[in-house]
Amino acid sequence: MLHVLLVFSPLIGAVVAGFFGRAIGDRGAQTVTCGLMALSALCAVIGLGYVGGPAMKVEIVRWIQVGSFEADWALRVDSLSCVMMFVVSFCSFLIHVYSVGYMSHDPSVPRFMSYLSLFTFAMLMLVTSDNLIQLFFGWEGVGVASYLLIGFWYTRPSACAAAMKAFIVNRVGDFGLMLGIAGVYLVFDTVQYDQIFAMIPQAAGGRIVVWGFPLDTLDVLGFLLFVGAMGKSAQIGLHTWLPDAMEGPTPVSALIHAATMVTAGVFLVARFSPLYEHAPTALAFVAFIGATTAIFAATIGLTQFDIKRVIAYSTCSQLGYMFFACGVGAYQAAIFHLFTHAFFKALLFLGAGSVIHAMSDEQDMRRMGGIWNKIPYTYVLMWIGTLALIGFPGFAGYFSKDAILEAAWASHNPFHLYAFWMGLLAAILTAFYSGRLIWLTFHGTPRADRETMHHVHESPWIMLAPLFVLAAGAILAGWLGTGMVEVAEEEGASFWHGAIYTGEGNHVLHDLHGVPFFVSFAPFVAMAIGLGLSYLFYMARPDLPGRVAGAVRPLYRFLYNKWYFDELYDFLFVRSAKWLGFGLWKAGDQGVIDRFGPDGLAASTQFATKRIVRLQSGYLYHYAFAMLIGVAGLVTWYMLTAP
Amino acid sequence: MNAVQLLLFYILALVCTASAVMVIASRNPVHSVLYLILAFFNAAGLFVLIGAEFLAMVLVVVYVGAVAVLFLFVVMMLDINFVEMREGFLQYLPVGALVGIILLVELMLVGGSWALADRTEVAAAPATVVMVEPAAPVAVPPEGGETAVVARRVRAEEVTNTQMLGAVLYTEYFYLFQAAGAILLVAIVGAITLTLRERPATKRQDIGRQVRRRPFESVELRKVKPRAGI
Amino acid sequence: MDTASPVVLNLSSALPEVVLFLSGLVLLVVGALREGEGAKGLSPFAVLVLLVVAAMILGGGQTAMVSLGGHFIFDGFAAFTKVVILVAAALSLLLARDYLIDEKVDRFEFPLLVLFAALGMCMMVSANSFIALYMGLELQSLAIYVLAAFQRDTLRSSEAGLKYFVLGSLASGMLLYGCSLVYGFTGTLRFDTLAAGFAIQGERGIDLQIGALVGLTFVAAGLAFKMAAVPFHMWTPDVYEGAPTPVTAFMASAPKVAAIALTLRVLMQPFGEWTDEWRQIVVFISVASMILGAFAAIGQTNFKRLMAYSGIGHVGYALIGLAAGTAGGIYGVLIYLVIYVAMTLGTFACIMMMRRGGRYVETIGDLSGLSTRQPMMALALAVFMFSLAGIPPLAGFFGKLYVFMAAVDAGLVPLAVIGVVTSVVGAYYYLRIVKVMYFDEPTEAFDGPNGLGLRLVAAGTAVFTVAFILLPGPFLNAAQNAAAALMTTP
Repeated sequence: MLHVLLVFSPLIGAVVAGFFGRAIGDRGAQTVTCGLMALSALCAVIGLGYVGGPAMKVEIVRWIQVGSFEADWALRVDSLSCVMMFVVSFCSFLIHVYSVGYMSHDPSVPRFMSYLSLFTFAMLMLVTSDNLIQLFFGWEGVGVASYLLIGFWYTRPSACAAAMKAFIVNRVGDFGLMLGIAGVYLVFDTVQYDQIFAMIPQAAGGRIVVWGFPLDTLDVLGFLLFVGAMGKSAQIGLHTWLPDAMEGPTPVSALIHAATMVTAGVFLVARFSPLYEHAPTALAFVAFIGATTAIFAATIGLTQFDIKRVIAYSTCSQLGYMFFACGVGAYQAAIFHLFTHAFFKALLFLGAGSVIHAMSDEQDMRRMGGIWNKIPYTYVLMWIGTLALIGFPGFAGYFSKDAILEAAWASHNPFHLYAFWMGLLAAILTAFYSGRLIWLTFHGTPRADRETMHHVHESPWIMLAPLFVLAAGAILAGWLGTGMVEVAEEEGASFWHGAIYTGEGNHVLHDLHGVPFFVSFAPFVAMAIGLGLSYLFYMARPDLPGRVAGAVRPLYRFLYNKWYFDELYDFLFVRSAKWLGFGLWKAGDQGVIDRFGPDGLAASTQFATKRIVRLQSGYLYHYAFAMLIGVAGLVTWYMLTAP
Repeated sequence: MNAVQLLLFYILALVCTASAVMVIASRNPVHSVLYLILAFFNAAGLFVLIGAEFLAMVLVVVYVGAVAVLFLFVVMMLDINFVEMREGFLQYLPVGALVGIILLVELMLVGGSWALADRTEVAAAPATVVMVEPAAPVAVPPEGGETAVVARRVRAEEVTNTQMLGAVLYTEYFYLFQAAGAILLVAIVGAITLTLRERPATKRQDIGRQVRRRPFESVELRKVKPRAGI
Repeated sequence: MDTASPVVLNLSSALPEVVLFLSGLVLLVVGALREGEGAKGLSPFAVLVLLVVAAMILGGGQTAMVSLGGHFIFDGFAAFTKVVILVAAALSLLLARDYLIDEKVDRFEFPLLVLFAALGMCMMVSANSFIALYMGLELQSLAIYVLAAFQRDTLRSSEAGLKYFVLGSLASGMLLYGCSLVYGFTGTLRFDTLAAGFAIQGERGIDLQIGALVGLTFVAAGLAFKMAAVPFHMWTPDVYEGAPTPVTAFMASAPKVAAIALTLRVLMQPFGEWTDEWRQIVVFISVASMILGAFAAIGQTNFKRLMAYSGIGHVGYALIGLAAGTAGGIYGVLIYLVIYVAMTLGTFACIMMMRRGGRYVETIGDLSGLSTRQPMMALALAVFMFSLAGIPPLAGFFGKLYVFMAAVDAGLVPLAVIGVVTSVVGAYYYLRIVKVMYFDEPTEAFDGPNGLGLRLVAAGTAVFTVAFILLPGPFLNAAQNAAAALMTTP
């Protein structure tokens, strides 16, 4: 009941605010959605008490039953989903409250609140799913909500384009996911998690023939599911939508594109840990992609000037961390990082929102600066978020990032050293661009115009309060969550209680406590180097960045243009698709299908209509004649065909 | 069927068909109606020939006596320009004739198949199956006091047509008889609905008022003095 | 031979007809005595009678029983169709009230004639012999001829009545001719006797006599005229357009049900043995009706005329189920009829709301921009149009679904395909009306407010059309029982 309430109260909020928004007004919509989210968050906090218990199934209703195919609406409650529910509900609640302040001047408040709640419901559906179909429902649900929210200001062409881009790029990933689900059903003849997981050991080592190549079954499935995860979690190759998604209102960026939705991919991989543990090749691929994304996104983050885009690339990079943690077998560390990341990244985004609010909707850091004493709370909160992100000792990120890097060192994955060094390098870059963000935004000489500077003001309390809660989380989450990466003496007493499976030969979690000293010390050094460099570049010697950029102009342009991914895709897919589409439209559709299909049919229909209507002369004897001809015809037919 | 009957049959049938053709062919509508009456008479003669004297009488009384005469009145009273009506006739003649001839041929074929069928040896040759209507339900135990009417089945040789019809009309065919009554009622209602108009000028007989009328209401006695005038 | 054979006049199974008949007589006398008051007082009485009789049938048993000299049959099939007919007649009367008053033809004969027409239709569906069939048909037709010409002072109405009468007489002639042929070749007029005889013929491997087959063709032609199926449909557009609108609504609903039900009985019971023979006629009529209904309606501007073609098309769809000749097919036809009646009456209720400056208008152009002026009426009409077009999840979709399914099950895939294709063509003109209502420039508003009866019928049928998907159980069950009753010869 608790969990049903937890999952469905956001849906009720969404329905009420969405359909009756006009009736209950802005204030009513805000109260209803926030109230119901508070309820949900409360349930989630209570639900944390279940952590460590065995997996439990809360059945709601039988959904589909076709032959041997069965899918229920059911909630799977175990440690993993409890943690996810807590993260989703709690962050969502804070962001709902924040939105009340942030969106107060928007003309369509109920619609926004409704979308937010709808998103939360879909996300909860995803994390509590009991089978792949329900997971897919939640997966697509968050996709739709994300589309609606990115394009919330639909009068801006850029917002519409970004929404479409997010949706379409996600389709590519979803295609992989769908193939993966179909593959799972093909192999296991079920979509229920518990049944799948029970059968995996037997399926291990099996072969499946793909285009003539016999491949390892579980590797194929793992790869396909991971393609879905790559799309949703913006990993390299399918990451292009995430920075553009910043067109949405800032609370959306915080909720969807930092704290929750983008981590769905990590969740998926962790949920399917029983499968990945038997699919070493797929796991290696996960590690490689994760590590590459971590460094790749961090390099781009160095050069961006839009405050939200910097944080967006940072998110992309942090997701890379989580994936390579999964890849090296430390799913627990990945979820730990997911947990801490949700707090500090939401904090950073909302803080950035507060800055943007203060700067009259300015997002370019080149037109900020020198405002730290005008918005002291935001300034402090941003510092807390930054320290947590770069892994300053004592803050949340320190614990989880350390755990990940140590796990990478200790693992036996073929890419584990690659992942370690890339992670370390990315840690330096992270510290650098985070420091850059702080220095550029808050310090130095004011670069905004006088009018804007005059209006700089601290955000209202309804926006600051959630920030304080998140800041507390950003500090404490690391301490609270260390249990996630502890190794229990016996299986039943562990934090996860089987929610995350680790194979026979996987001792990463145990080994990471015994890594050499320099491994556990390196992240701190990396952070210190990065932060120090950023101070040098942007505070001590503000002329340096320009000179460095000038010295390595091609590299700078390469990074500034985001490795030319968008241009490459435009050339490869968009143009060629347009060209193909244009050809099919003109020649195929208009030339053949329309001409002989709808247009031709319509023309002949009109012709037939005219002829038929002309028969209706109005003369009685014509009518009688028609009847006689009819009956004579029928009789003749029988006379000719009768035996 | 003896020779006289055969001869009579052919004469009657021939005249009947010929007058039927004349009904639609004659130019003067009054002549048409007269030919129709002739056709009725001949049809009545055919009925007599097969021993259906009641139907023959009804045909004469109802169709000739009432319907045809009514037609005659209507045709004579309505001033219809028949020449105009016939203008389209030739235009449609070919198609009409074609359809008519096709139907005629087909019906002749059907009739032929009937004549050819060996109807005598029903039981032996499985050429056809004679279907006999079940007699009216015999002595169904009336549940809950229903009205049981006893019909008298009689043989054709013993009684006249009229007697036989009378015997079944109110028993076996009670339902249809009543239905026919309902149809006639609707016809009357319909005719009144469509034609009755109350014109203020028309005087209507109100029998009730006539009967109720008393002498003192209508007759006034006056003493008239001689040579005084009124 | 002087054997006495008792004929038991068992009126119990014909109680609905008896009640209708006696009520009609009472109505006639009361109406005649209180002449001048019009139909105001008598219409509600007639509606009440119709509904009470319908309830009586619903409440009574449905055991099959042949009575009244073997000419009358009561079974589940008759019960189902009678209820549909009676309810349709009652709704038509409800619709008529305001129109009659507005057009100054508010006379007591109107409910009386509707009542007698309903009686005739009940007799039709309960017919167990060709004579009974003819009697019921004539009673029904005669009443409707008069109703069509009820506005006797307008040329259109008189013309409609006359046209219908003349062509109807021709159709009756064909029907009678067919009956006489069947009688001549088989020696009986009764359906059950025919069925038994044909069954024996079938067992012995004797073919159907060509004469009986030709007779059946003529009978089918007469019935096709009554249900307005191609090529016996020519009267429909003219008569529908000319007749007073409530009469058109009545003609488009109850008599069509009666004619189709009667056809079902004639073809399935006495001639059930020869399904392969008569299927050819039914398929031809069905295909021709669907095609003509779809194509001819496109050019129409008058809404009533459009509904005439729409009705022709729908008869075609219903006949698909008959062509299947299976219990599933009959079931489909019955469901189709119920849904069709609801949609049609609802549409005509909306047509009768089209009154501007005290005058009834009936072109599609008059509806333009209706959604901004009378949103509820536009919504209801849109529901009916979508449903008539067969768009899910409205009721009209299910009607089509069941008959198409039956056709596919019976191996008549081409027929179902033609049905689907013509549905697509037909959707064009239904959706055009929706387009006119919702996207065209608004014109002058219609008069309001509408009478209670009109609103009641429009709202009720609209709710039925929308909510059918939610609670189809009772209808489906009843139709299934009725179809099963028809398939088992008593």
